[in-house]
Amino acid sequence: MANAEAPATAPSRAVLELTGVSKHYSGSPPVRALDDVTLSVDAGELVAIVGASGSGKSTLLNIIGTLDRPTEGQIAIEQTAVATLSDAGLAGLRSRRIGFVFQQFHLLEAATALDNVATGLIYQGIRRGRRRAMAKEALDRVGLGHRLDHKPPKLSGGERQRVAIARAIVGDPAIVLADEPTGNLDSRTSADIVDLLIRLNRDGSTIIIITHDQELAASLPRRVTLNDGRVVGDDTHGAHLPYQTPEPTGAAL
Amino acid sequence: MTITPLAPKWRSKLLAADALATGTQGLRGRKGRTFMTAIGIAIGIASMVAVIGISSSSKADLIAEIDKLGTNLLQIQPGNDLAGNTAKLPVEAPAMVRRIGPVEQASSVSRLNAGVQRNQYTDDSNGLDVYATEPHLFDTLDGQLDEGRFLDAQTATVPTVVLGSVAAERLGIDALVGGPVVSIAGRRFAVIGILEALPLNPDIDRAVLIGNTAAERYLGAEIVPTAIYLRTNPELVEDVRRILARTVKPADPNEVMVSRPSDALEARAQVDQNLQNLLLGLGAVALLVGGVGIANVMIISVLERRGEIGLRRALGAKRTHIATQFILESASLATLGGVIGTALGATVTVVYARQQDWLQPEDLPPESPRRSHSAPSPVSIPPPGPLASTLPTQYARADATCPRRTCPMSRRQDGLLPRCSGNGRGRAHGSPLACVIGSTTLFWIRAAMSLYA
Repeated sequence: MANAEAPATAPSRAVLELTGVSKHYSGSPPVRALDDVTLSVDAGELVAIVGASGSGKSTLLNIIGTLDRPTEGQIAIEQTAVATLSDAGLAGLRSRRIGFVFQQFHLLEAATALDNVATGLIYQGIRRGRRRAMAKEALDRVGLGHRLDHKPPKLSGGERQRVAIARAIVGDPAIVLADEPTGNLDSRTSADIVDLLIRLNRDGSTIIIITHDQELAASLPRRVTLNDGRVVGDDTHGAHLPYQTPEPTGAAL
Repeated sequence: MTITPLAPKWRSKLLAADALATGTQGLRGRKGRTFMTAIGIAIGIASMVAVIGISSSSKADLIAEIDKLGTNLLQIQPGNDLAGNTAKLPVEAPAMVRRIGPVEQASSVSRLNAGVQRNQYTDDSNGLDVYATEPHLFDTLDGQLDEGRFLDAQTATVPTVVLGSVAAERLGIDALVGGPVVSIAGRRFAVIGILEALPLNPDIDRAVLIGNTAAERYLGAEIVPTAIYLRTNPELVEDVRRILARTVKPADPNEVMVSRPSDALEARAQVDQNLQNLLLGLGAVALLVGGVGIANVMIISVLERRGEIGLRRALGAKRTHIATQFILESASLATLGGVIGTALGATVTVVYARQQDWLQPEDLPPESPRRSHSAPSPVSIPPPGPLASTLPTQYARADATCPRRTCPMSRRQDGLLPRCSGNGRGRAHGSPLACVIGSTTLFWIRAAMSLYA
């Protein structure tokens, strides 16, 4: 994956493009949760969306995840305008192109780790046998290959989040959306989870992490800062490409 | 920014096997609740099955009894003439009836103007009649003897009598030991047989039968038939019935009364109908309560599983997938309850029927067209679950249309019922009242259809 020799010809193929996206909630007073957000994320990026509570990051996440539609503006995922899709089309998009990781894990308590991960493929119409084979592979990737038959109550918080991450990546989505993935974990486990996400990103996954944790954000190559529904900062250190060590750029200097 | 307007071929789909597994997953995960909810339905269905089963088994039992007696027995009696006096049947009537093709047997009796006593020293006739008749009356009525024998070609010509069951009782003769005799018009007749009761012919039960020849010879009676009994081909009973009056008395067919004794018994079988309807109504209420129970549980289940619904939406479930999941869940619940209830109701019916010593299906000849009636009718009540599920499914769909609220990412827990914001996509739960009225109406329509099907 270390194709650092070609930064100039980097195929900046945007998997996600937001143009002038606003979201208003009617009520008194009306809330402008998002205000004219323009944002582009390329394939292979690892992006943190940072902001305090109420800054609009959850709204942004729902819009990126196609769970909600913007009031104004456009959003395109892999060059497909989300506005043109029906509910069924959006469901299809979510089933194949977007993987979600939640703060509360949201695993099925009664199902084993393997079945939980396999559930991530259920709406792609993949048969059970193949689903489970793919799930096993994904669990191996997150380092839980030895815990296939454990049910969530028997797993630690970090392990549960790994299962959730495996579920998000099992279908090889274009975007992995992680909402406060370390919010319910202690600092040590959080570091492990961040390491895992960085490693998956290095293997090629495009990952967007929503967080209020500045420290976590600081460890990621790109940070988009939200405040009152506006993008107030888009800070890239290092190359535009995934978490590369600063050396190539440093050498260019 | 380049945007392709066309949607690529990304489709969300759920295999049937997965839909089924997803639909029953909630039930498997909450066994206690599943059981209790199913029991609610089961009791409703069991009571309906038992009510219908017991009453139709009882009716079937009565009908089977009638079938055993035969429904092809017709009875001809004189009616009234224009002046209001009792008409007479022509002497040749039995012979004319016998000439009708489908008539298999016909026998006549003639009521004699004579009383019967235990002996010549009393004139108490006990309300009994004396009938003169022919030996083959016995076969025509399909009679059974309690004692002795019936009249035959010989005994019909000598002073002998056969007693109907009631007549024997009133005369105090219960056995032929000692050669009992009775007195008719002061003349002694030897009793040679006692009949068993004839459910279709209570008048014969109350009669003392002597031969036509003996009646003429010893009592000087004139033999004029007062009743003719005939057996017809079972397929052609109505056809025969229609032409009997004209055959017997072509000039005055309205002076002839034709009846089918089994009709009276059949009518008795219908009398219980009102009570059955009442019980059925009670059963329907129980079923409704069970259905409401399912609806309640499903609403709770949808509300407490909003997280799961949001997760499934995030995993790519379409609205219809979510709706299917909950419909399948409540349908399975109702099916479970329905199966348990049907088994329960059938068991109650069978146990009750055996206790009442009713005829069992296996007691009837296999070709009996009514055999199917006597089994506890497994009323195929459409599972009310899908109906009950309509309501919570509306909620589920409402939830599903409103991902912002249900998405686990939005950590809002405000309000019990899902409320959608803006952009008019929350239409599904616009009127929960309409849901309730709609599903209740549907329920009653289905219930009524199943009852009268």
